[in-house]
Amino acid sequence: MKFGIFFELSVPRPFSPEREREVITNALEQARLADELGFECAWVVEHHFLEEYSHSSAPELFLTAVAMQTQRIRVGHGAVVCVPEINHPIRVAERAAFLDLLSGGRLEFGTARSSTWTEIGGFEADPDDTKKDWDEYVRVLPQMWMQETFAHRGRCFSMPERAILPKPLQKPHPPMWVTVTSPGTELDAADRGLGCLGVATASYAEQERRTREYHRRIQLCEPAGAVVNDRVAILNFMYCHEDAKRAAEDGLRFLGTFGLLNAHLLFTREVYPTSAYQSLANLAPSPSAKGGPGDRPGVPDGICIGDPRGIISAAKRWESIGVDQINMLLNASEVLSQDQVLASLRLFAKEVMPVFAC
Amino acid sequence: MLVGTGDPETLARHAAELTGFATSPEKLLGVETLQIAFEAERGGADDLLPPGLHPTRPPVVTWLVQRVPESPWGPFALAQCRIECRSGLRPRGFLRGGVIDNEAARDALAARWGYALALGAPRLVRSYDEIRAGATLGGTTVLELALRDPMPLRNADAYYVASVHLAHTPRGLRLVQVDPEFDVARAERGRPLALHFDADAWRCAGLRPSAPVSGSFSIADVTLPALRYVCRPEVPAFLGTERVDA
Repeated sequence: MKFGIFFELSVPRPFSPEREREVITNALEQARLADELGFECAWVVEHHFLEEYSHSSAPELFLTAVAMQTQRIRVGHGAVVCVPEINHPIRVAERAAFLDLLSGGRLEFGTARSSTWTEIGGFEADPDDTKKDWDEYVRVLPQMWMQETFAHRGRCFSMPERAILPKPLQKPHPPMWVTVTSPGTELDAADRGLGCLGVATASYAEQERRTREYHRRIQLCEPAGAVVNDRVAILNFMYCHEDAKRAAEDGLRFLGTFGLLNAHLLFTREVYPTSAYQSLANLAPSPSAKGGPGDRPGVPDGICIGDPRGIISAAKRWESIGVDQINMLLNASEVLSQDQVLASLRLFAKEVMPVFAC
Repeated sequence: MLVGTGDPETLARHAAELTGFATSPEKLLGVETLQIAFEAERGGADDLLPPGLHPTRPPVVTWLVQRVPESPWGPFALAQCRIECRSGLRPRGFLRGGVIDNEAARDALAARWGYALALGAPRLVRSYDEIRAGATLGGTTVLELALRDPMPLRNADAYYVASVHLAHTPRGLRLVQVDPEFDVARAERGRPLALHFDADAWRCAGLRPSAPVSGSFSIADVTLPALRYVCRPEVPAFLGTERVDA
């Protein structure tokens, strides 16, 4: 089992450049500490226009800063939006290769298609096309990285023969992933030989079912790239404190804030009827397994909020159902202080990670 | 976190009088529904929601025009104007104004589910090349919509967000959660047009629709549900939600 950290770069209102800078510099400090402590990867999302929830519109710049300030931790695009109105595929290939060079071959390359109307509508992309766009991207990007020159006549873009430069350091190319929000996307990942980068929390039973099906399907895959990435990563929420009660109090504040911000996004499914978006794509776990609106929630099963013993127990359970990596969201809208987040990281590394060391 | 900035008492100026919470479900067969969604300019949009609801970004207005061929109150046509929002974690459409052509249906919908509706003339006309819908109040056109080039859509892809209605209830002014179930038999999607919208007539003063989002049409059996929850309009749903079906 490996552990990563995951950034949304959420910024509390009222926004200001100073507040945004503080969020970014806090995240960079967390990434530096995670590097020292032995975390596997620092992931960052790509989002546009999502006020408060995520101001991470230029993840390649954030990851470049992480790469320049760290020695060992891998840098993860979690994930690049593969929609031509948002990111042209040539620019995606160029930037990713550049980041792989700058980081000394530490890039993990996630792919996605966006799930909110705020983003898709903002770029005037067609929601019916984003799945098809994504499929074309994941097939051509490895070719752009591996071939000396590349030409393409496709559905979402075309180009005459050119040398796409630079080339990534990792050979044949950086590991590729798909963000899995909606049930069923893990099968898309498996069929293409891509890593399953879970970004929506699921129950143990649901994740076990998805992981089993993913591993079964990927045996038969037609790889989109030159190498199969068969790892399964999930998103989790971490607040580790010696006192379980205190951990739950503060951790639930963080989890609840994230859940609210996420639920307040305008998902495409809600306003645009299409088979291409069949669920709302909420990422947060249900705050309470029983009861109704207004009931006081507890820490949901499997969430890494608690004392080290409780978190070890949850992580062991995830490991037992075939999860290879847990990526931890550390804060939301700065409801935890930077000192709390850094202390939580240190305690987790001291008490939890050694249990999972190979 | 964003919250509505409208004063609940002001927003409730034409609110319905909900006579009680113990309403039994009502199934309406073969209901035709045209739904058009448009983004709206941000200025003033948050004033149309009470503090108990959270605005979306961008603001989105949805119009639903329905033709109900049979009901316990006779056939009727209904047009609604809603603002998309969140109640706690849940997506909702906040009803701002409605027009109906059947007085008995108006009274029943108000008393049992908190719909605030004015008597007028909604209409829904289907052709192969477009579906037209709209409403008049006192002979004046207050809404004109069209769905151009409708094409079949999977029934499962038709999607309707549940409603909240600000109503006077036995517990005082409350947001009444109404979650109609749509059992869709046929669905279509097309190019949405908002040809005319009199914001004032829909109690949406200052609301300016700006960009089309989607348009769909369905034929469905629609069940108006029993009421389960109401919320106080002045506080977020986690603080102000009350069960009414116990």
